[in-house]
Parts: sequence; C-alpha cells; structure tokens
Amino acid sequence: MSIIYVLIPLAIIIVGIAILVFFWAVKSNQFDDLERQGYSILFDDDLKKDTPKSEDKKQLND
Amino acid sequence: MSIQIPEGHCFHCGLPNVEGDRYPATILKIERLMCCPGCQAVATAIVNNGLESYYEFRTETAARGDAALDNALSQLAVYDEPELQEEFVFDVGKHKEIRLTVEGITCAACGWLIEKQLSKVKGLKQVSVNVAARRALVTWDDTEVKLSSILNRLKQIGYESLPFQSDQHEASYQSEQKSYLKKLGLAGLMTMQVMMLAMGQYFDLFGNIDNEMQRYFNWISLILTTPVVLFSGSVFYVSALKAVLAKTVNMDIPVTIAIVATYIAGIIAVNKDTGEVYFESICMFIFFLLISRFLEHRSRHKATQISSNMLKYIPVTANKWMGEKIESVLAKQLKVGDLVLVKAGETIPIDGIVTGGIAHVDESMLTGEFEPVKKQLNSMVYGGTLNQDGQISLKVTSTLKHAMVNQILRLQETALASKPSVALVADKLSRYFVIAVLAISALTYTYWSSQGNPEAFWICISILVATCPCALGLATPSALTCAMAKLNRTGILIKRADALEQLTHVTDVIFDKTGTLTEGKFTLVSKWLDTNTMTEEEILLFASSLEQCSEHPISSAFPVEQAKAVEQVEIVIGNGIKGIIDQKLCVIGSASFLSKHLSDFNGQVQQLGLDSPQEANVFFSVNKQLIAAFSVCDAVKKDVSSVIKNLDQYTTTILSGDSKNNVESIATNLGIKNKFSQCSPKQKLDYIAKLQIENKVTLMVGDGINDAPVLAASNVSVAVGNASDLARNAADVILISGNLPTLLDVIAMAKRTKRKIKQNIAWALSYNLLVLPFAMMGVLTPWQAALGMSLSSIIVVYNSTRLMR
Repeated sequence: MSIIYVLIPLAIIIVGIAILVFFWAVKSNQFDDLERQGYSILFDDDLKKDTPKSEDKKQLND
Repeated sequence: MSIQIPEGHCFHCGLPNVEGDRYPATILKIERLMCCPGCQAVATAIVNNGLESYYEFRTETAARGDAALDNALSQLAVYDEPELQEEFVFDVGKHKEIRLTVEGITCAACGWLIEKQLSKVKGLKQVSVNVAARRALVTWDDTEVKLSSILNRLKQIGYESLPFQSDQHEASYQSEQKSYLKKLGLAGLMTMQVMMLAMGQYFDLFGNIDNEMQRYFNWISLILTTPVVLFSGSVFYVSALKAVLAKTVNMDIPVTIAIVATYIAGIIAVNKDTGEVYFESICMFIFFLLISRFLEHRSRHKATQISSNMLKYIPVTANKWMGEKIESVLAKQLKVGDLVLVKAGETIPIDGIVTGGIAHVDESMLTGEFEPVKKQLNSMVYGGTLNQDGQISLKVTSTLKHAMVNQILRLQETALASKPSVALVADKLSRYFVIAVLAISALTYTYWSSQGNPEAFWICISILVATCPCALGLATPSALTCAMAKLNRTGILIKRADALEQLTHVTDVIFDKTGTLTEGKFTLVSKWLDTNTMTEEEILLFASSLEQCSEHPISSAFPVEQAKAVEQVEIVIGNGIKGIIDQKLCVIGSASFLSKHLSDFNGQVQQLGLDSPQEANVFFSVNKQLIAAFSVCDAVKKDVSSVIKNLDQYTTTILSGDSKNNVESIATNLGIKNKFSQCSPKQKLDYIAKLQIENKVTLMVGDGINDAPVLAASNVSVAVGNASDLARNAADVILISGNLPTLLDVIAMAKRTKRKIKQNIAWALSYNLLVLPFAMMGVLTPWQAALGMSLSSIIVVYNSTRLMR
C-alpha cells in the first residue's frame, strides 16, 4: 500500500498542471466563443495552392 | 449540414433573385445564379481565394453583397490616419492590434472564411473571430500592410468592418466572466480529487485504513481544499463583507460562516488528529454555489455581447474649405465657424447651417422618418445624416462633441442609468430567510452546547449548509436562462434577463410609428389608371422605368422586375422626373409638377375617377395625357392589427416624430387611442417619465435612433427587426425576424417563466423548511446536508429546463 504515498502526490502534480493549462486557456480567450470551434474540423485547412494571386484570376463572367 | 437555397433565390444571400441569369458564378463546380453584382463579386472572390468550402458548411445564408466595392478603398483610407488610430489601435510589441466589429457574420462558417481570407494577407500576424459577438481581433505589422487594406480585404468577401471600442461595462463583464470560469474550474477539479479521497474513507475501499493513512488522507485533502476555499470561495466572502459593511444581510453571510467555520475546524482537527473533517463538503458546496452564480452572471449580462458599434453614425471625415482649396480632414478636428462642403451621397460630417446649395437630406437616423427633408440657405443640418442629392456648403455651428448624434447618445446613457431598478422576488425573500437561518442556527448552537452535546458545532454547520438558499438563488436565474434560450431559437433575443420578469407587470404598451407599426418605406397603396391607350402592365412598366432614374425613396414603391431604357432624363428635385420612353414623352411627379406640364390638369384628374387631386400623390402622364395616379404612402405592416387587438388588456399609445395627419390616420386605423405626433426624442422621454411617476410599467416598441433614449428609459423595451444599432443597443428585447406578432410570444413566455419561478421558489423554500428540523435535531451530518442541498438545486434546474420544450 505504500505506493499510495507516491501516487497521490503524483496525481496532485498532474491536477496542478491541468489547472494551469485551464487557467492559460481562459486567459487566452479560448472560452469566449463556444459556437465556432466545433465547426473548425469540417473545413479544409490546406487551401489549394494553385491560386497564388486571386486578383490575377478574377474574371467575373465566364 | 449545409443549407439549401430554393430555386429562384440568390445562392449567396438567399434573397429572391429577380435578375435571372445576369450574375452567374461557378461555386462547387456548378454554375449558380446571384441576385446582384455585389453578391456576385463577393462569391467570386471567395471562390478565387480557394475558400469554397464556406458554401459547403455554412448554416445560414450570407448578408447581401454591397455593389459599391470600387470606392471603398478611398473611404477606408481614413482609417490609416494616426489621429484616428490612436483611439482604437493598440501597440503590441512591434505589431499593432485592433478590435473590429464585423457586420454580416451569420454562422460559424463566416468565422472560418474571415480567418482564412485574412491569413493570406502578408504582414498580418494573427486574426481571431468571435462569431457569437461578431467581432474580430486582428494583429498586423504596420510596415508591411495598412489597416485600410485589411478592411478592404474583408469587404471583398462581403463583410463590413469597423473599429470597435468596448465600453467599460463590457470590459468589466469580460474580466468577471473569466475570473468566474477560473474559480469554477479550480473548484470542480479539486472537488473531484477531494471527493475521491473522502469516498475511500467513507466506504473503506482499501480494506482497513489505519490511522496513519487516515491522517495522510486528511492532510492531502486539506492541501487540496485550501486553494478552493481561498480562491474559488472568495466571491462569497467579498460579497458578504460588502453586505456587512452596508449593514444589511445577504445570502452570502451564512455561506461564508459555514465555509470558514468548517475549514478552520478542519485545520484544527487535522493538526490535533482528533474530530471530524468535512473538506469534501466544503468543496462540493463551493462548487455548486459557484455554478449557480456563474449561470446568474451569464444570464444577467448577456446584453453586452450584442452591444454594437455606435461609431458608425459618427462621421469620420469632412471636406473643409481652406481658402480656395478643399482638404479632407477628420470631423472631430472641425471648429465652430469652419466651412465644409458636402457632396451628394455623403454623410454630413457635423452640425451646421447651410450657406449655399440645395439638397435633400435623409434625417431618418435622428427623426425616424424616412422622407427626405429639403435643406436650403440657412437651414440647420445635423452630423450623421445623409445628403441624398445636391451639393451644399455649410458653416459649422458646434463641434462634433456637442453634435446632435452625440447628444442623443448621451441622452440614452443617462436614461439607461436612471432606469427603475428591479427588486427581484427571490432577493427580497432570501433576505428574510437569511436572518431566520442565522438566528435559528445560533439558537440551536446555544441550546445544544448548554445541553453539553459535543456535536453542537457540527449541528450548527449542518443547519447553515442544509438551509443554504442555493436553490432559492438558482430559482430565478435558471428559469430566465432557459426561457431566453428557448426564445433565442425563435429569433427573439433577450438582452437583459430580468426584462422577462418585468414584462408580466407591464401596464402600458407604447409604439413608435415609422418602421415599427408601418413598413418604414413607401408602398403603392392604391392606383387609378386610364387603360384606354395602354394596358395596366405597360403603365406600371413605364412608370417604374422612369422612377428607377431617381434616388428618391418614393421610387422604391414601384416594382423593379423589368425596366425600359429612358432617354433625356430630367430630374427636378422635389417635384418629379421627365424622360422619353419608346419615343413617348413621359412625366411622373407631384400634382404641382404635372399641373405645370398639363393644360387641363384638374379636368384630367376627374376623368381618372379621383374626387380630388389630394387622394393621390404621384401622377403620371404620357404624351401630355394623364393616364395614371398613384397613392404612395407608408403602409401599415400586415399582422399589426391583430397584434394590437391581442394587446387589449394594456393601454396602447403611439409616440411618433411624424406629422399629425399621418399619426392620426394610423391610430384610428389600428384602434389605438393615445397618440402623440411630432415628438422629439426628449419629448418621448418625458412622456415615459411621466407614466413612470404614475407608477405605470411601460413597454416601448421602437426601431430608430431617435427611439434609443426612450427605449433605454422604458421599464421594458423591444427593438424590431431591422432596427438601428443604437436602438438595438438600448433595447432589452430584440425581435430579429421583425415580425411584430412574435411580441405576443415574448409576453406569453414571460408569463410562463414567472409561473416557473414561483414553482421553483416554492420548492426551494419547502425543502429548506422540511430539512431544518432534522438538522436542528442533529440527525443530519454536514456531508448529508451538502448532498441534500445539491439535489434540491438540481431539481430546481431540471424544472427550469422544462421551459425549453
């Protein structure tokens, strides 16, 4: 049972880290907008590279 | 996932497409049709930038694109001026940072679109979009890219953005929200840990726990509980201290006593290695109470999220005469006596007196009336209003700080500050309750200790915890939050939660006229036609083709599906339009304009079947022959009369800035008895104040900037649909759909909510009374008391969520 003297302090350290991470997240405004982030996964992050300059290609009626 | 656009509607903005295939764009490999060049340009820009997946995942249609993209850059250039930037732009290290309010954000896909579009701009360091608040935080390197080009970039994909200055109120709300979140998170995580250790002890899960292990567990619990008590619980101590200093009591006093006493007793017990510890009860207690506080905080201050940007109405630049030359300067630098030139289509930069030129000015932002006002020599013009045609020069009469717009803003602020405060039922109740609880626990303690009971202290703590008015405190905010969420889904935004509670006390309903009861734009109400030479369709087609040449609001009353080419157009401002269509001389305009043009005007009017020329206000002639007369006016919105009928238990009133005749006819039409015309914002305010002195509770429904002060002052206020930002800002309730009938839904919901609150309070009180004898007898231990209190709160919350169905 003496392992518990090591495990519990270890658990406390991990909880401490979790709390620090949580505080950092709150501080960097990550809880401001809960609506949008859920959608982020749906979008393509890698944009097509074949459109280097949009203005050059802008042709309206074709 | 994505929305479906019905046939015949614009693929971009979802509005009806009357242009057919004039504005195509290829999106997601299929050719789609847009309704206007603005939407087409925006859609093409989105596709060309490789951002097509916006269309795949959006859940709302976009805002309509603005066709006037070309002149945007020159107007935006003013945002690069250092004088203007110093107010909004912050220096962050080497970079600059700005908060923008972005108009046109409709769903999460917009946030993605903006971030992706901007992330490709060279020199842009960071951009984060908050969809709920419709704001973006942008950081950029000023040496590589200018602010104006960032704004222009946003405009290309259809988002109008403006620098945003958050008011103090909102800033304090934000920091409070963050501190609540931190406290809640800490309490939650720690409660789990402490609970885990406590459960081990309760159920003896490790077989037989020896004394040493017990002490070890207690020490760990103490260490884990300390940050919760010191940091998370501080909300309660501060509030309790404030109450004591103000010589009153509040819910936080027994809470504070219970927490601090249990904690100190715990420390003593751990040190002396004797007696009970209840660390898990403290943590759980703080955690649950914090949840209820957090909910309350959120529901009461939802308002700040939609507080929007008033700067839009404050003009930024002006063309100032410097001797013979014109120079572009910031409006706030203008001094009294300066001469300023205002071209057609420009916003008048400042209050002043006209020194030359004639123009029609749209003063709707100040008066709420959309009909333009004629301005000539020596008339007063006001900053923020729009010059529709003609060029005028003016002499500045007051600086921007004292201009009319800013005066209205200030009027609104003071009105908001003096708004009658609401004493919530639960708050009043809990005050008596708290006094009773404190007295009872003190008496019980004295009784048991005089009896020599060693448990006296813990019995006293049990009473404090068991009777904690947590459920009572949750009763109102939880019900209000649920009601707000439900209404939100039907397009009704409640900005101030207690507005719902106040709605049930309303005695007087007051309406603004233009834009609220009426359409707020000219509509073709009736027509008299001479169909001998032309068919009805032809007459309408000719008349609308001619009207298209003018910017006058009357022209919007005529349909625009098709138009014929008009040659030799001649517009006589304030009178009418002449032009040649299919080699026929067509004239449209007022009675006086046509009577000059036609030889026997009155005779021809009678031939059309009109009793007098006053019945109609637009006349149309082809080849010197009067063939049509139209009555064009501001029509009452449909459904309005049924709404008014349903409001018969209230006193209804119209407060309008419009002329007496118009107001009276609408009032009689709708059966509204009290009517006041030609009211200035100040007069409207005085009327509400008078009612409030008579102890009436007012509900104001309005939409214009001129209504903003009254909306702010009224006990409850509703802004309708396309209301100006200022009105939205001042109102408690916003009907996004613009349907007045939803007002009835709000009132019905308010009544249901009130019932729910009463149920909740009844339950919370009866539970506390029920449990009190057990606690006093010492049957209840503190942890049981804490558990019971939590269950009671959960029942209250569950009952409230039934409102969402």
